[in-house]
Order: sequence, then C-alpha cells, then structure tokens
Amino acid sequence: MGNKSALTPILIVIVGFLTISPVLMLIFGSFSEGFGTFSGFTLSKYVEAYTDPELSAVLLNTLVFTLGSAAVATALALFLSYMYTRTNIPFKFFFGVISIIPMMIPHILFSISWVLLLNPSNGILNRYLMELFELKKAFFDIYSLPGMILVEGLLDLPVSYLIIAPAMSAFDVSLEESSRVCGAGTLRTFTRVTLPVLRPAILASVILVVVRCLASFSVPSVIGMPGRIYVLATHIYRIISTGFSADYGKAAAVGMSALAAAILLIYLYRYLTSESDRYVTISSRGFKPAIIDLKGSKYPLLGFVGLISFVLIVLPVLVLFYTSMLPYVMVPSAKAFSLMSWRNWLEVLEDPISLLALKNSVMLGLVGATLGVILSIFVSYVIVKVRTRAAGVLESLSFLSFSFPGMVIGIGFMWFFVRTPLYATIWALLIGYIAVYLPYGIRPLSSAFVQIHSHLEESSKVCGASSFTTMRRIVIPLLIPGILSGWILMASIFMRELTVSVVLSRPGSEVLAVQILRFSEDGLWGRLSALGIIMILISSALVTAASFLGKTLAKGRSPAE
Amino acid sequence: MEIRIKGLTRDYSSGGKGIRALDHIDLTIPANRIFTLLGPSGCGKTTLLRCIVGLESPDSGEIAIGDDVVFSRERNIFVPPEKRGLGMVFQTYAIWPHMTVFDNVAYPLKSRKVPMEEIRTRVARFLDFVQLTGFENRPSTKLSGGQQQRVALARALVAEPKVILFDEPLSNLDAKLREETRKELRSFLTRLKITAVYVTHDRVEALALSDRIAVMRAGGIIEVGDPKKIYFRSDSRFVADFIGRANLIKGKVVALEGAHGIIDTDIGAIAGLNNQNIAPGRNAMLCVRPEFIRLTTSGVTEGRNVFRGKVETLLFIGEAYEGEIRIGDTRITTTVPPTVDAVEGGDIQISFDADHCFLLPA
Repeated sequence: MGNKSALTPILIVIVGFLTISPVLMLIFGSFSEGFGTFSGFTLSKYVEAYTDPELSAVLLNTLVFTLGSAAVATALALFLSYMYTRTNIPFKFFFGVISIIPMMIPHILFSISWVLLLNPSNGILNRYLMELFELKKAFFDIYSLPGMILVEGLLDLPVSYLIIAPAMSAFDVSLEESSRVCGAGTLRTFTRVTLPVLRPAILASVILVVVRCLASFSVPSVIGMPGRIYVLATHIYRIISTGFSADYGKAAAVGMSALAAAILLIYLYRYLTSESDRYVTISSRGFKPAIIDLKGSKYPLLGFVGLISFVLIVLPVLVLFYTSMLPYVMVPSAKAFSLMSWRNWLEVLEDPISLLALKNSVMLGLVGATLGVILSIFVSYVIVKVRTRAAGVLESLSFLSFSFPGMVIGIGFMWFFVRTPLYATIWALLIGYIAVYLPYGIRPLSSAFVQIHSHLEESSKVCGASSFTTMRRIVIPLLIPGILSGWILMASIFMRELTVSVVLSRPGSEVLAVQILRFSEDGLWGRLSALGIIMILISSALVTAASFLGKTLAKGRSPAE
Repeated sequence: MEIRIKGLTRDYSSGGKGIRALDHIDLTIPANRIFTLLGPSGCGKTTLLRCIVGLESPDSGEIAIGDDVVFSRERNIFVPPEKRGLGMVFQTYAIWPHMTVFDNVAYPLKSRKVPMEEIRTRVARFLDFVQLTGFENRPSTKLSGGQQQRVALARALVAEPKVILFDEPLSNLDAKLREETRKELRSFLTRLKITAVYVTHDRVEALALSDRIAVMRAGGIIEVGDPKKIYFRSDSRFVADFIGRANLIKGKVVALEGAHGIIDTDIGAIAGLNNQNIAPGRNAMLCVRPEFIRLTTSGVTEGRNVFRGKVETLLFIGEAYEGEIRIGDTRITTTVPPTVDAVEGGDIQISFDADHCFLLPA
C-alpha cells in the first residue's frame, strides 16, 4: 500500500462516478427537452409527470404496497427470531436455512411461481380449491394489492430477519425477568417490554424493507401489472417501455421523487442503526437467554414454521419444475402427468435469445462480481484502515447506492451511455450493476478488514517482509472469507438482476431475468419455468463451487509454503 | 547495538488541532542493555518506539542504529521497517491466526530467504529457548495468552535482530502470569546480550526489568538513569512522584551540611540529600518515600528528622497498613507494619534518615 495518498482520491473518483453521476444525469435528464441531449432546459417534464391524473393512484398504491410488505416481513421476522432465540421449539437449524436460501431463488421466479399457483383464471392452487369446494370464483386473486404485499413480504423476510435476529439475541433478558417479577404475564411482558426495547431494530427493518419495495420490480411487474395495479417502479417502466415513444425525461422526473424518498429513508436507517446501541441493551455478562417452554403449542408452531419454509423454498422450485414439464398450466392429475415431456427445455436450449441471455448473465455474474469485489477490497481498506476525512467521504458515497432504486439509476445511466460506445452493450449493464450493488461487496469486506488488527500487518513488516509479501501472506489470506462472501453475494445478485437490466438491456445485451420477464409477458410459462430452473441450477452451482474453492484455499494456505 | 536519536519531533493532527507527540527528543540507548521508556499514557513512548522501528515517520530529526542512519529528515533518509533488521513484540502479540506456531516463527527467516534446512534448526532452537518445543504444528489460535507471548518473543528473536523492541508486551496477561513472565523475560534478555527497548506505563515492571529507564512526559524525556537512581535520587519532582509513592514537603533551604541540605518546612527543619546542590535561600521540596518512614507509638526520641503527629486513617492492604499521619496541616503517607500498634486518632512518632530522603528544586 505504498501510494496511500493517491489511493483515496482515485477511489473517490471511481465511486463518485458510479454513484453521483447517474444521479446528476437523472437530474439533468429530467430538465431536458429530448433524450440524449442537455440542450433546451425545460420544466415541462415535471409538469407533465406530476399533473398526470394517474399519479395519485400510483402513489397511494406505492404507499400501501411498501408499508404492507414491510409490516408482513417484519412481523414474520419477529415471530421467527423470537421462536429461534427464546423458545424451545425443535429443529432450530431450519431458521438459518430460512434466512439464507430465499436469497438464492431469483425474485422474479418466486413471484411467477405464485402467479402460477394463485392467478384467478388457471392458478393451480385456485383450480384445485375450486374443484375441492365447488367454488364458482377463484379462491384468491393474486393480481391484487394483498397478493403483491404477501409475495413481496415473503421475499423481504430474509432482510428483515437478518436485522431482527441479532437484536433479539443481544436482548438483556433481565429486563423481561423484572417485568415478570413485577407481576406481568408473558404476553403483557412481550407487548410492554420486549417490543418497545426492540423498537429501533423493528424500525430499521421496516425502513429497509420499504426502500427495497420502492426499488422492487419483480412483484409489481409480474403480479401488479396484469391486475392493473401500478406502483412507482411500474409507472416509470410504463412511461419508458410502452406507448408511442419512450419518454425518458418524464420517467426521470417521476424517478426523482422515488430516489429522493429512498435516499432520505436510507440515511434515516443509518442514523437509527448507529444510534441503536443506546436502546438495545447488550449485557456484558455472559448469559443464556431464558428459554420459554412452549409446552402443547410446540408442534403447531413448528408446523407453522415448517409451512413458511415450504412456501419460501420448496414450493417455488416445485411449481416451476412441474410447469416446465407441461405444455400448458394445469392442475396435477393423471392426465397432466401423462402429458409431461422435456419439450420446453429443448425449446429453451434451442432459442438463440435465451442462450445469449444465459451467456450474458453468467458473464456478468463472474466478471461483474470479480471487478466489484476488487473495487470493494480497496474501498473497504480505505474506509476501515486509512480513516482520513476523505475516507469518510468515500464511505458516505458508497453508502449512497444502498438506497438506489435500480430502475431509476438505470435511467440516469441511460443519459450517460447513450453518448458513449457503451450503449446497448453488456458493459453498460456491468457498470450499472456495480454502481447499484457496491454496498453488498463493501459490507462483508469491511467487516473482514475490521478483524485484521493493524499490528498483524506491522509485525510482518518488522519481520522483514515487503508490503507486497505482507499483502500476499498476511492480509489476503485473512481476507479470504470476506472476499468469498462478497463475491458469492454479488455474483448471485448479478446473475438474476432485473431492475437495472430492464432499462439498460437492449437487443444483443439480453440477460436471464429480462428474458424471463418477456416470457411471462407472452404467457410462455413452460419455457419460462425451464429457463428459470436452469438459472437456479447455475447460480447454486456457482455458489457451491465458490465456497468449496474458498475452503480449500483457506486450508491449503497455512501448512504449505 | 547503540541507538542514537537526535532532535526527533512528531506532530499529529486530530480533530483539526495539532498535537506534538514527540518534542525534540535527544536520546542515546546503550548497546546490549535493557532500556525502558516509561511514562503515563499519551506521553509519546509508543510513538517513539514506532519511530525507531520505522512504523511511523517523524517530522524532523535523526535516528541511527549502530552505524546506520535509518531516518534523517535533513538528509531525506527513511529506511522502511522491513529493511531495518529489528525484532518487535507487539502489545496484542500480532500472532497471525491463519498460521501454525512454526509458520509464525519461521516468517522472518523466510522473508530473509534463509534456506529451509537452516530455518528448521533455528526455529527449533528458539522454540526451545522460549520453552515451546513440541508446539510447532499447533494452530496459533489454540494458544493461551502466555504461550502467544512466547511465540511473539521467539518470532522477534529468531532472525537475530540488532535490536528487539517491546510495546507493553505484558499488559494483556493476568497479574500472576505477568510477574512470572517479567522474571523470565529479564533472564532471556540478559542471556542473549541484546539491545532491548521496552515500553511500559507500569513502574514496577520498569524497575524490575531495566538496566536503564527513560521517564517521558508530554512528548519529552524528563530523566534518564538506572532504576535505583530514578527511584532514590531522582532529579525531577514529576519522576519522583511517578515512579513510586512519595511524600513531597515544600520548604526553603536554609543551610548546607556536607552532602545534606537543611530545609525549613511547615513541620520543622528536615535534613535530606542535596544531590542537585540547591543553594540556601532557594525554595525546594523534600521527597521521602513511605517505606523509609519509621513509626513508634511509645517512647520519645530526640534528634533530627523526628516528628510527632496523629494517625488520621489506617487502611488495611494485606501485607501492611497504609497510614496517613497528620502533623499540623501536613499529611504524610506511610507504610505501617502490622507490628506497630497504631490506632486511628492515636498519637504517633515518625522518623527517617537524612540519607533516605532528598531535596528537589521546587
């Protein structure tokens, strides 16, 4: 790290380009007359966007959708983490699985599997229940706000769980015990003591899920649009992808409010999580939290947890696989099983666009995650180890993109790319991905850096090792777990990316999620499912290979050499 | 190897304002001795050590180790730490968690491209030296605090450095282990005949371990001397107070008697060693350590340095009592052996030899 002084400014320029430039482009774009030029300052796009009679309904839908999903996700996360940390419920290993696995199933596929189950005309579950109870109407219409909230809430459950569970396990139980001694029962203690003390974590979870819902495109497009329920993301999408001509200026003008709301919320989130130490009491003495005996309700509650895991993990894959084998969507029956074949799979494997999308997504996953992690290593190094005022600027800059709704940032980048040869190439997608998802690489790497005490590096130098040797033999081996989890996280996000891609992807730079969205718009459920299963298989294989590689690297380092 | 430091200055800026961590330090650290930098936290002792080893670059001055100038602002010389050929034991030990004990100790030799055969013999020799034979393949995460400390010592010694530096190496050990390790370290270093620079804020550690001590305060060196000189005949009021418990009594020198000076104080005239030749008529301060004060409750002795007072408080601290004696408005701290039948509020007589106390400039 010889050129410490040069490193920080270079990184500020790179990260600044990735985070500030799309925002600036978006602002310029929203004030320009035509697409791709900055000439002709105009307010007309704002006037047009905010006098749109449909906007008020869109905003109301957005509010209900985001808050509803946040409530569902947070309530479920509270329930699961309470069960995990505080009760004697059996099979606790389930909970770790619940919090990790759904990240592997692309959101768009999860949303589509629910459409296949619960759409009002031929949803498998709907048809089945109608036959069973001889109903005239579909049991549940997924193409509705409650449907969207249910699916989005389940999708964001892992995020919520990762915030609530640590707070729950750091909870000082003596607070509850004193409430019990004062004569309050379990329920009263929970509502009067436990919940209020956990308030910062609950608020943080709600805010983060709201930000993610603002950025979410899978559920609004796959479930909302067929039911004509538009939220901000789909409203913007409608402006740029349907009608006579795409109006990027108007889309930018609408996007400004989504971006502003998200940035505001994410800094509120940061404030809450940095202040949270004051509220959540972490007791210094080692203790095992008092375990509540669930007695008779143990197995019904376990059943509920099992149902959630089934719905989150097994069901989507099962439904997709089942659908991929059938010529059209039908309720499982002897007839259905007799019609099963690999036809959809063969069609997908012969479809040039699907194959191109597959190639592009794998490329973006591998190269994008590698570049993203390399950038994250340097940025985390500066944030954690250099700690100058400039490093603080870098930290704020990189945190900014945590709030970015992918689609809005994609529109910002459009203004930039359209003037460069990058336009309509997968490099445009690559830059967009890294800009929006950089915090997912920085987070595991900065916590890895925090664990490397500066004495470990200094002592290597005193022992006569050069900076390069110190990097190779001390820093990198200790960083491997962080590098690996950052890489896996970024690679799996990039492989399934939809919201940035839906704006920046052009003929020739198709990616998997966009291709799946096209299939769903055309109702080609069989091919969609086949491609979806291929997508899940590839990303699981990638994750497994990467973690295996990491384990051998970590093991092989120390005894050898 | 001797270390010579001239005019060393190091400034920090934190929160917008500058802090001078080292202020024109001039110091010669003698070869093959244990030299301790002692001082309260924030006095600059660790900064000085890090400048010697090369982990920090001073703002001005010069450092020479043996015949090599390793740092000089004027001549624009800065030898990086890896080229200085020193050994260091860190406060956290800095044992690399991804390596075994053998790999940790072999690291300095591998960096210096020593042949593998020789690495094996030298690592074995030094592990034997720190009594860790048989631990070669132990992962370093499976070591106790004391064992980690020995691995750190073996690693610092294995390349036979010109100088070995210690940054508060015992502060992470519990009290009992600290005492044992202190003794061991002293015998290791004496046997090796190596120049050792040791940083600590613990005065007992400094007194027990060192051949010479430099007491530091606010970025400067106040006094340098061997442990007995520092303890018994310090030149500075700060050092006298910092190095051990001390009673400091203000007064004015009225006469000289050979090596002694007579100082007139609130409790009467006291005779003490006048090492600094403070002239009569000057204000001065008498320093007497609690353990040199004799106490008696019966009988009256006449003579020099004998005073009568009342026992103000008695605090039981195990091997003795800590007593506070009041003479007029002056309070004197003493060590009261359990054999003295002192009671709180009772009369008591104190006395001490003129050779066991000394005068300091006020």
